[in-house]
Amino acid sequence: MILQILVNGVLLGGFYALIGVGFSPVWGVTNIINLAHGAIALLGSYITYYMFQNLHLDPFLTLPVSFVCLYIFGYPVQRYLMNMVVKAQIFMLLILTFGLEIFLVNFMTTFFSADFRSVTPEYAGKSIEIAGVVIPYIRLAVFAICMVVTAIMGFFLEKTWTGKAIRATSLDLEAAMMTGISPKKIYSITFTSGSALAGLSGSLLSLTQAFSPNIAGGLALRAFIVAILGGLGRVEGAFLGGLLLGVIETLSAFYIGESYKNAIAFGLMVFMLIVKPSGLLGRKYYAEVKH
Amino acid sequence: MINKKLILFIVFVIVLTALPFVISGYWLRVLTQTFLFGAIATGSNIIIGFTGYPAFGNIAFFGIGAYVTGVLTTKYNMPFFYTLPFCAISGIIVASLLGIPILRLKGHYFAIATVGVMETIKELVDNMTELTGGGPGLTLPIMQGEPEYIYKFFYFIMPGVMLFSLLILFIVSKIKQGYALRAIRVDEDAASVMGINTPVYKTFAWAVSAALVGITGGVYAYWLSYIDPHTVFGGTYPVKMFAMILLGGGTTVIGPMLGAFILELISEIVWSKFIAIHGMVLGLLIIFIILFLPKGLFETFKGGFSFKKLFNNLKENRL
Repeated sequence: MILQILVNGVLLGGFYALIGVGFSPVWGVTNIINLAHGAIALLGSYITYYMFQNLHLDPFLTLPVSFVCLYIFGYPVQRYLMNMVVKAQIFMLLILTFGLEIFLVNFMTTFFSADFRSVTPEYAGKSIEIAGVVIPYIRLAVFAICMVVTAIMGFFLEKTWTGKAIRATSLDLEAAMMTGISPKKIYSITFTSGSALAGLSGSLLSLTQAFSPNIAGGLALRAFIVAILGGLGRVEGAFLGGLLLGVIETLSAFYIGESYKNAIAFGLMVFMLIVKPSGLLGRKYYAEVKH
Repeated sequence: MINKKLILFIVFVIVLTALPFVISGYWLRVLTQTFLFGAIATGSNIIIGFTGYPAFGNIAFFGIGAYVTGVLTTKYNMPFFYTLPFCAISGIIVASLLGIPILRLKGHYFAIATVGVMETIKELVDNMTELTGGGPGLTLPIMQGEPEYIYKFFYFIMPGVMLFSLLILFIVSKIKQGYALRAIRVDEDAASVMGINTPVYKTFAWAVSAALVGITGGVYAYWLSYIDPHTVFGGTYPVKMFAMILLGGGTTVIGPMLGAFILELISEIVWSKFIAIHGMVLGLLIIFIILFLPKGLFETFKGGFSFKKLFNNLKENRL
């Protein structure tokens, strides 16, 4: 039983890790806490839903579509909205993204309705059983995709020139500019890829659970928790934080009660902020407040 | 100059007192709601505008106040007015206890921590079904009397709370401790070097703010006579509160109240005209305020209105 719970937790955690991987670098690099992350993810969910419903495409085939669509969506949002206030007081951005979230959620409620939707391909109910532990194929696939994307993102940030430039910008904006890095470009790449990853995670979400525009806030808060737990702006941090959150949520749902799992997750985040604001893997600079 | 302001203020109060005898019940309700937001924004401004700590989750105290009044009136049959001091005290206790660890955080981290606190309290209230009624909410005893009398009663209570918050804010802006708070906003390290015990002052500011917002919550609970965790903890309240403070100007005493009046009346008009897209318009309105009026309406248009100033604001903070 305990093994089954742990496996469920890890599978859920993989998904949380992907949400965090999209959210955390944006915060770490551009100083934008994107409260609209959940709403953007849900746009991805609706893309998958409508393509599955109307074109009868396999939901996994729609992943690149929502990735590209939200990459394109992220660009003007960053260029013409976020960039305008990026140097203002920190909470301006917070409210701006909250305003965007309210707009997007209401947009989805108006045009896609507030009903709960779910994507159920033919193979939805099938599962594999290993040593008494039941693993649904879809959840396994979602987990695998999440891990691969997280690894790619980690590789991108660690090894490529663009990734190195992104990390340099997050460490020291002025020094990065001196070496010829254009913060405009870096900010735009970071935000758009964050938005694209949000779309991807939204598409995967639609496969594992029912969704409606109203869960956007919950998703964004989960992204917060993952980023805080693991340490800001770091892919490894988001990975660790995601797995941790998934396991803690499933464990507390089982042992303390399903309805307390949110309270525990948020309490844990506040505790982490008090004890070690830089997160489990956070290093110096990565979590420093920029003004 | 001071006298001019005073006369304006007295005229404002007289107009408020006279209004319920000329306007309809609908507008009475709208105005009461506006005063409610005025009270929340004014109360929160002590920590947000004066001290410069973006307490995004300050609505937590609103919810605490609402539930204190709710539980005391339903479970202990306490008269409504006696519950208000308890709202204030519970706000002060929670803010002081949390303030000591959380106010060490700065900027984003503080904002996020307050959101975390708000969500945690919401979930706890949601789960303490025996005491608080849990997710389905709590129904308070309805006030005795004619509906018209009740409407007018709350019409006078709500601005009473708002003016009380305004008075406290005014006093804080004048006393020495208020200067200390502003020093913290401008430069906390420098303030600390000057001999200001910053943790104590910050906690003081948050506790006062929590008490005021808590009282507002108590009045809200009795007014609507029904509360549930998802409305009183969060929803669109935090962002509306912040937008109001920004619109009016957080460093002034009267700004947040005016911001509340403007935003709430606009959104009420929008609500009645375009009910289907109301939420989208609210989101756009907030985005507009952040982009074009980050310094507040009055600071921006000090020397007269012009569109150029709006665009200057837009250019100022861009990358």
